[in-house]
Amino acid sequence: MNYQPKFDRRSFLAGSAAAFGGLSLGFHLPLGDTAAAAEMEPEVNAWVVVKPDETVVIRIARSEMGQGTLTGLAQMVAEELDCEWSKVTYEFPTPGENVARKRVWGDFFTAGSQGIRSSNELVRKGGAAARMMLVAAAAADWKVPVAECVAADGKITHTASNRTTTYGKVAGAAAKVEPPTDIKLKDPKDWKIIGKGVKRLDTPDKTQGKTVYGIDIRLPGMLYASLKACPVNGGKIKSFDAAKIADRKGVKKVVQVEDYGVAVIADTWWHAKTALDDLPIVWDEGPSAKVSSETIAAWLKEGLDSNDGLVGNKGGDVDAALAGAAKKVEAVYAYPYQHHVTMEPQNATVLYTTDKCEVWCSTQNGEAALATASEASGVPVPKCEVYKTFLGGGFGRRATSQDYVRSAVMIAKEMPGTPVKTLWTREEDMTHGWYHPVTQCKMTAGLDKDNNLVAIHYRVSGQSILAGVMPARMQDGKDPATFSGFYAGGAEAVYGYSVPNILVDHSMRNPHLHPGFWRGVNINHNAIYIECFMDELAKEVGMDPLEFRRKLMQQHPLHLASLNHVAEHGDWGKPLPAGSGRGLAQAMAFGSYVAACAEVTVTGNSVKINRIVAATNPGYGVNPAQIERQVSGSFVYGLTGLFLGGIEVKDGRVVQENFDTYDMMRIAQMPEVRTTVLPTGGFWGGVGEPTICVAAPAVLNAITAATGKRYRTFPLRNHGLTMV
Amino acid sequence: MVKSNRKNAARRMSRRQLLGAVAGVVAAIRVAPARATPASMQEAIRNVVGEAQVTKGKVHLDVPVLVDNGNTVPLSIEVESPMTATDYVKAIHVFNELNPLPNVISVHLGPRAGRAKVSTRFRLADTQTVVAIAEMSDGTFWSASADVVVTLQACLETL
Repeated sequence: MNYQPKFDRRSFLAGSAAAFGGLSLGFHLPLGDTAAAAEMEPEVNAWVVVKPDETVVIRIARSEMGQGTLTGLAQMVAEELDCEWSKVTYEFPTPGENVARKRVWGDFFTAGSQGIRSSNELVRKGGAAARMMLVAAAAADWKVPVAECVAADGKITHTASNRTTTYGKVAGAAAKVEPPTDIKLKDPKDWKIIGKGVKRLDTPDKTQGKTVYGIDIRLPGMLYASLKACPVNGGKIKSFDAAKIADRKGVKKVVQVEDYGVAVIADTWWHAKTALDDLPIVWDEGPSAKVSSETIAAWLKEGLDSNDGLVGNKGGDVDAALAGAAKKVEAVYAYPYQHHVTMEPQNATVLYTTDKCEVWCSTQNGEAALATASEASGVPVPKCEVYKTFLGGGFGRRATSQDYVRSAVMIAKEMPGTPVKTLWTREEDMTHGWYHPVTQCKMTAGLDKDNNLVAIHYRVSGQSILAGVMPARMQDGKDPATFSGFYAGGAEAVYGYSVPNILVDHSMRNPHLHPGFWRGVNINHNAIYIECFMDELAKEVGMDPLEFRRKLMQQHPLHLASLNHVAEHGDWGKPLPAGSGRGLAQAMAFGSYVAACAEVTVTGNSVKINRIVAATNPGYGVNPAQIERQVSGSFVYGLTGLFLGGIEVKDGRVVQENFDTYDMMRIAQMPEVRTTVLPTGGFWGGVGEPTICVAAPAVLNAITAATGKRYRTFPLRNHGLTMV
Repeated sequence: MVKSNRKNAARRMSRRQLLGAVAGVVAAIRVAPARATPASMQEAIRNVVGEAQVTKGKVHLDVPVLVDNGNTVPLSIEVESPMTATDYVKAIHVFNELNPLPNVISVHLGPRAGRAKVSTRFRLADTQTVVAIAEMSDGTFWSASADVVVTLQACLETL
């Protein structure tokens, strides 16, 4: 039975105003008629709208998922605009508007710790251009040269005649000024807003429950859908018996989703979910039904010694050097699959007709969602639109794949003219993720008779993210992301040690689970491999772990600076009572140099992480207070993964379905975290991702210092260890 | 791809030459960085077109303006031509700027093709310009280009 309520824009707007009264949407509601569109405030340029009451609306292209990029970007525009920070508010242009305006706002994707650093020039120029146009408008009005006018804090002054005006008064005229082409940006030493720990723009609404996330979207006449995909990834749906739930209350339709799933559409989400739970379904589980964590581990283990290594870094002759080494040290580590566990499960709301496809969703890439909506609906891009909500967590899940948009569009296509919200259950989300890939690492080091490290071979065996997500980005058959933190040079992920003979290679083995970008990506396990093994080598030669590293880092001053900072401020070398220990770790990833010194006390199997002293050098720090919070937040994520995470596979299925079996760190377990931002200038590194990677190895090294025991496989709950 | 007949033996020769030229281009690209560039795309086009002038027109290149994942991008090219024995499209060549190799596909046609229209799917490594060039039976070359945005959805370090 087809449910086809009449959905007209007027009732939508009225309904939305009521539903969203006082709520902060961040985007304009879709306006059906051009007259209303014209009422929108005139913009000075694409980046800045100045209202008559001096409110400055800054357009933000990236997604806000808690990482604070919204505020950082606004700071950068406001800095060059020279407006009053207290007057600043924000707006998210839609990807459709971006495409229609020839991508005036640039990239929308929010991932790879790129939000600030790849935007910075574009948005700062946008703010500067707007300021120049405002000043030009004032100068024209006063009939004086532009050079005699000064802009500051939202006011323009003609110094010679002491005349002043405000941005709000000249905004209308400024919009008509020819946009400048020669734009000079401020010298960082003159920054007044960038570099300050200003309060975030989104916090007040979030604390008052006003923020609208994708899961909160409610449209008049909206139906809800619950979705199930084959429990074994890669499997297909064979059949389902809709007749068995035909009489269930509120059920409107049962639809197959492509070749892998089925959805129930109903009047409430609970009706949809419970009906779907009772729907008889026959799956064709496909070729991976017998895969388990054990079979995966055995397969990966073969890759530790196989001949199919793809080389990521090579220097000298490792084989010869190892053969001639006075002493060889070897260790094998393994890091498991991890799930993103965004607090907001995957969802999207779609209104589809043959002429137009609109999507409301939490996405890390508005343009990708737009492209997906077009591809899935068959409606051309100019007739599609995506309205980005705030994200209840992204961490890479909402960037890796827009699958939650695609399936929601396919489902909504079954109800043309009716908005349908598809919301995944937690169980569906947990078992159908795009997981941090599973890897093992065999490390072989050669020391000479004076205990110098002369050779090191890192063989990583495991899953490639790019092969599973974007094969077009592979380079010569290799996945370059695999070698994060191992690179010999470059601006992003350089290995911080000088070893005369080095080989880093990867035996690519791709199990059937979808791989994905999990905050930090490959540096998470690579930093554990590198930094824990460094400690093992230091122990082997009887040297202090800091001294052992320093010797190897003379050619890497920025890596060393972060490490030295945390060692000094973490009281490295000062005595600790028995049962307590300190551990160090440093890495470079996403362009930033990060380090941590952790201090733990271990009693039996209980690990108390007392304190972590952290340092991050991202080149420039737009909002240092936010960076400190990002570091702490990333430690929650990384330590949760280390102690409590780990996705297991049995009979082809993901075992963990909810937080009862995939727990999270709690506030009481959180250590004191002291972060110093060490911006040395001259480059733009990321913050959202690199900082996470040093927490786990620093804590692991501290545990070994405290107990003498070394752990090489994770999560730590498998060894009975708990955080207290 | 339409099989050539005996009358087009000359064209068959030129296809081998084309393949040779392409192979030459391929070899050249391999020693360079693992990516094409706008410059190497121009070189690849020169390899096909020689010194002849390329005029914008007659070619309709249909590719989405925004693409989610560059893995399977739909591509459709149609060239205005009566496709008669004396006035037809000899070949349609597609080039790109930033994939590992600048050549995407070369399709050889004859009057028996009926219409000069090709639809397929191809891979795009990144946001870039795609160029389609039609080689006519009278020796002229016509082109169209399109900018495709591949939404980069990755936590990738720019290596």
